[in-house]
Amino acid sequence: MKRVSLYAAVCLAPIICIFLSLCMGRYPLGLSDVMNALGNVPLWTDNSSFGINHTIIWEIRLPRAILGAMVGACLAVSGVAFQGLFRNPLVSSGILGVSSGAGFGAALAILLFNTVAAAYPFALVFGMLAVVCSYLIGRLYRTTSAIMLVLGGVIVSSVFAALLSFVKYVADPYEQLPAIVFWLMGSLASARYSDILIAGIPMSIGVIGLLAIRWQINVLSMGDREAQALGIHTSLSKGIVIFCATLATAGAVCVSGVIGWIGLVIPHIGRMLIGNDNRILIPVSLSLGACFLILVDILSRIITGAEIPLGILTALVGGPFFVYLLKKTKGGDW
Amino acid sequence: MSLVTIRDASFSYETKQIFSRISFSVEKGEIFCLIGPNGCGKTTLLDCVLGFHHFHSGKFQLMGKDAAGFRPGRVARLIAYVPQIHERTFPYLVREIVTMGRSAHLGFFESPSRKDRTMAEEALERIGIRHLSSCPYTQLSGGELQLVMIARALVQETPVIIMDEPTAHLDFRYELVIMEVITELVKERGLSVIMATHFPNHAFYFQSKQIQTSIALFNNGRFLAAGEPESIMDENSLRELYGIHADIISLTDADGKTMKHIIPVSTIKDMDA
Repeated sequence: MKRVSLYAAVCLAPIICIFLSLCMGRYPLGLSDVMNALGNVPLWTDNSSFGINHTIIWEIRLPRAILGAMVGACLAVSGVAFQGLFRNPLVSSGILGVSSGAGFGAALAILLFNTVAAAYPFALVFGMLAVVCSYLIGRLYRTTSAIMLVLGGVIVSSVFAALLSFVKYVADPYEQLPAIVFWLMGSLASARYSDILIAGIPMSIGVIGLLAIRWQINVLSMGDREAQALGIHTSLSKGIVIFCATLATAGAVCVSGVIGWIGLVIPHIGRMLIGNDNRILIPVSLSLGACFLILVDILSRIITGAEIPLGILTALVGGPFFVYLLKKTKGGDW
Repeated sequence: MSLVTIRDASFSYETKQIFSRISFSVEKGEIFCLIGPNGCGKTTLLDCVLGFHHFHSGKFQLMGKDAAGFRPGRVARLIAYVPQIHERTFPYLVREIVTMGRSAHLGFFESPSRKDRTMAEEALERIGIRHLSSCPYTQLSGGELQLVMIARALVQETPVIIMDEPTAHLDFRYELVIMEVITELVKERGLSVIMATHFPNHAFYFQSKQIQTSIALFNNGRFLAAGEPESIMDENSLRELYGIHADIISLTDADGKTMKHIIPVSTIKDMDA
């Protein structure tokens, strides 16, 4: 019974947050406006006749909220997965270099094509490439020990960070450089349904894969020797976890830019609230990550006229909240 | 049929030979004690049996079948493992840790069911630590943790359990608690235990409990001797194994049963003399 209500909360919370984000923004819309607009699904009718409210809800706020939920969920869940895999609670979804790779890819695309649209595929490809490099470095000694993988991630991240600096250095300082910098700070402002559909594929595959294999993440966190003695094919399972977490993170980063913090801290908030069993922790973190990013995105839209980049707000909002939770829950037995 | 059969097995890291031409077998209800100085290769030998490493040559059978190519899941349904050191990271609850012992019996994407969780609770009950079920296992003492590890091995439902120095770092009481738990499990469930230990007295202990006990003295990559503790362990073999002078005394317990006990006395400074 307890578990049923927990899962109900896990499912309902993001939906409530999405609904909240439809109601809030610089353009004031009342509850009735929102309900009216939601009642007219544009797929079945000609949407030009509905006016501004309808457009704001269906074309701007809804895709943005959905994308925010997906990105937040992906970053949080892959953070949990990587923490379990590396047996280290300080690891985040960027540990194997996916963020730096994606950042470089996006910057390169902006440099080459002068448009942010090209940044998505480049960010996705380079994010995945960075993780492949880290993985190969981690396998130099045949085994994929956690420490070698982390080391691989550190090396690859720093190489891509250097490449990113180089791209910034050669970019046109009036057009390209600001675009790169804003992309890196993260935003959902350009969210469209096409983004959701395209980036949604890697994100969904990654998250569903991690949900499916979440029991094995528990066992893998016992360390390679014990996990194998418990019957886990460690290299195969680790490969699947890394693959899924990378797909999820790269899919998220390529549409939203580099949003730090979520992949590190949402898992911890989940651990404090419901413990460390990944069977429950992963769905809960998914929900928490989705809610957190939607709420932060609402803040970023309503605080000032010009949107504040998400990367800034996630840390500014999340930091104090995290400290509050630390005090409240006595740190979850760490 | 022996549960574990090893004939003329060898293993080396790169060029460094760890052991060669090792042979032994373990029967149902038997405790096999591996005794030897630090660094003699005990853990490596156990690792090979567990499939972490592969023997480079020789015959290795589990339940009469060639086990060289067994997948981890198959090994884990035959042999459970109680590690020497368990590095604790996340504060899982004790019952969550014990439930992980069911992994080998689950499908690839499967999570433990209610039945598996019940088995974990039963194992905790059997080991006598049910009251710890909802504790974060990071808060347990070393002795309690060892009992949790044994409970986890128990729910794995294997005929064989490998224990790597199960009483290292434990106080007198917990050492005895662990020994008694092992004794009871072997007697009531017919489990077999392969155990690396630094305490040769453990072999005498098990023998005094009427358990079929074998012992192998392991040094420099080979067995100096293997067989019944009574016949193998004497002042001479301890001298050769550890380079020490030792006395072996006989104790008589309250039931009138005798148990041998080794008292280490002094090191031998010059082994050649």
